[in-house]
Amino acid sequence: MAEVDNRIELDWDALEVGETFERFEYLLTKEMIDTYRQGVMDPEASFPTIAHKVDVRQYNAKYTDAGSVNARCAFHCYNPPVAGKRLTVTAWIADKYLRRGKNYIVTEAVSVDEDGRLIDRVITHELKQPSEVGKKWGG
Amino acid sequence: MGRVVRGYEEGDEITPLEKQMTQEAINMFEGSAGNTGPSQFTDEHAARETLGTEGTVASGRMSLTFAVEMLRRHFGADVFNHTGVVDLRFLRPVRPGDTITFTGTVTGIAREANGNRVSVAIEAKNQKGDTTGVGQGSAVVPNAFLPPEDL
Repeated sequence: MAEVDNRIELDWDALEVGETFERFEYLLTKEMIDTYRQGVMDPEASFPTIAHKVDVRQYNAKYTDAGSVNARCAFHCYNPPVAGKRLTVTAWIADKYLRRGKNYIVTEAVSVDEDGRLIDRVITHELKQPSEVGKKWGG
Repeated sequence: MGRVVRGYEEGDEITPLEKQMTQEAINMFEGSAGNTGPSQFTDEHAARETLGTEGTVASGRMSLTFAVEMLRRHFGADVFNHTGVVDLRFLRPVRPGDTITFTGTVTGIAREANGNRVSVAIEAKNQKGDTTGVGQGSAVVPNAFLPPEDL
């Protein structure tokens, strides 16, 4: 049986800066870290959390839209996460803006592990008209 | 790893970092977080539908990871993994088959309560010389890692 999609269609004008999403928890496994390190070709890569895109995960769980393109991303390192620990993520809408007629949403998230160690902070600016990539850069 | 004491100066060049992008690497990056379904990063059809591109692209977060790696290598993991910041804007798509080179130049050194914040301008270019990303990074180098003349 197909799952029912209860997500809300994004109304960019109505989206409120400051909206904080339900906390998200996940277990960071050694396998996740190893796969991430292979993917980025760096055996010492310390922040596999980057690949988890946790700042937009809860947004995407709540809203549906035409997709997005990452226009800008800032990452703050505090403590490398440890395999086998559960991470808790708090994410919110940090900003939204219109530039050259295009809509952007800024999401921000902070991750903390089960021992209370602050892991990282990520801030992402997403362009909500992803087809602009093809228009500008073609095939 | 032992503590490395070294000075920093404006204009210092960071050792560049080069990465060969492959679809396999992109798939592993996405898969490491459990994102195994078709997406603009892993599936040509999805990329065409969502982005209007002929092929897949790499997530900007892969470029972010590479900038983090370049600065971690420069400052050392003891410093960068606890105080490092990278802020990158993505200017052009990065695709499988691209060779991306990250470079950095120290642009400023500012005293902070517990050391010096060293700022770096970052640029990423593909094999054609096109800039794919620009931004800044920084780390707070604790006093214990600085030579006495820099304190």
